[in-house]
Amino acid sequence: MIPPETTSKETTTDMSTERWQSDRTEAAAEAKESSAQDAKGHGVNIEALNAYYGDQLAVKNFSIAFPANEVTALIGPSGSGKSTVVRCINRMHEEIPGARAEGSVALDGMNVYEDGVDVTSVRRLIGMVFQKPNPFPTMSVFDNVAAGLRLTGARGINLRERVHRALRAVGLWDEVKNRLDKPGTGLSGGQQQRLCIARTVAVEPEVILMDEPCSALDPVATLKIEELIDELKDRYTIVIVTHNMQQAGRVADSTAFMLEGELIEHGPTTKIFTNPNDERTERYVTGKFG
Amino acid sequence: MQEVRHSYREALRDLEKQALGGLDLVTQALDRALESVSYQDVELAGMVVADDDRIDGRYLEVHQGVLSLLARQAPVASDLRILAALLHIIRCVERMGDQCVNIAKLVPLSGYESPKDKDILDSIERMGRHARSQVTQARDAFSSRNVELAQDLVRQDAEINRLNRAIFKRAVEIGDDVDTREWAMFMILVARALERVGDNTVDIAEQVVFVVTGLFREVSDSTPAADAVRPA
Repeated sequence: MIPPETTSKETTTDMSTERWQSDRTEAAAEAKESSAQDAKGHGVNIEALNAYYGDQLAVKNFSIAFPANEVTALIGPSGSGKSTVVRCINRMHEEIPGARAEGSVALDGMNVYEDGVDVTSVRRLIGMVFQKPNPFPTMSVFDNVAAGLRLTGARGINLRERVHRALRAVGLWDEVKNRLDKPGTGLSGGQQQRLCIARTVAVEPEVILMDEPCSALDPVATLKIEELIDELKDRYTIVIVTHNMQQAGRVADSTAFMLEGELIEHGPTTKIFTNPNDERTERYVTGKFG
Repeated sequence: MQEVRHSYREALRDLEKQALGGLDLVTQALDRALESVSYQDVELAGMVVADDDRIDGRYLEVHQGVLSLLARQAPVASDLRILAALLHIIRCVERMGDQCVNIAKLVPLSGYESPKDKDILDSIERMGRHARSQVTQARDAFSSRNVELAQDLVRQDAEINRLNRAIFKRAVEIGDDVDTREWAMFMILVARALERVGDNTVDIAEQVVFVVTGLFREVSDSTPAADAVRPA
């Protein structure tokens, strides 16, 4: 997803702090381009995160590690803070008036909340897909995918190739290759959601956050997205928020259960769904409350 | 339509391979157990006992794999029947492994230079060949979802039961020599273990029918109880 107030940015793939700065060179852009093919995701470490809406503490002293190239699901009842956590990862939480976050969210050891960090760069490296497919209504299929690249001002890249590659990566190419110039909103719900994922993938982030990506989709479209998630994890680190426990079971390598803003339990998905450690997790996954 | 839920399908296929591979382990154990009986090979018998850990390990793996798929993938219809059947089959595998161990443990007990009765030994060997072919047939029937092949196992099993009774009868009438009688008693136990292996293959056959038709029918033998030598 494209952050609303994006300006011209590009980043390098090296692990130095430079990637957080906004000075972009053509060479850096090319380096990114050439290494993007075999780019691997990077882990995210959250430490002692507290997130507020005004005075209300929505996420309490939350610490977790999202391993690279794995899918981690966040489950829990409504209001447990799942969405807030993912919105803190790419600093979208603070866009809400009165909302703020404390603590550390580190991508490869770099704290995204550190002073001087460029928020737009953070959001370019940490992409997001939302509950409701939200293609830009006035844009064609092609432009929707290209939008992120254009907004981040990535120059020196083959736009057409990048867009085509992103559409292939999300399994949409065969379905839209003959209608690239038609409006993105003309696609089905499931296709629109994959289009949004293509838009996220096109800017080649390192982490993809998904907030209930399938809750507006029918079962077949849902399965396609889940398949896609399984493929995407080879290249990205994925964090998915879901109300659907079965979905967590199907797609996630590990699952974290949240309740009232706290992390109750995080472990391998099979463990969480066959023999959780915490009584509250047991009660939630067996449907005894929620 | 392209295959969806690819990794789930793959996991299901792998789990089936793993469970049926357990039957290959049983075949190996059975071969060695029978050879150790025929040649009074105590060392080989020891290996059968030691290697049973592999079969037990396979049981745990498949059991865990089935639980994981049930918990995570909410399988339905034929997928659900397959998983239920695999849980059953892997239990049969584990039991058959134990029967091979039972046979192997009798080898050192029956003595190095024990007197042997050719009739009994021949019957044991014939039973062994039957049991072995039933194990492979059960495997084939399941992997090819072949109901006829599965039902044929019941017919085959009747022969094992017949041999079991024949061995019992022969042992009862074997004569007054104490050593020979003792050996014959051990052979009754070997025969019983083989008969149990045969029964387990019939259980697997029932699972084949269940997976294919969705119906559970006990297809096992209709031998009158009084006629069968089947201690509880």
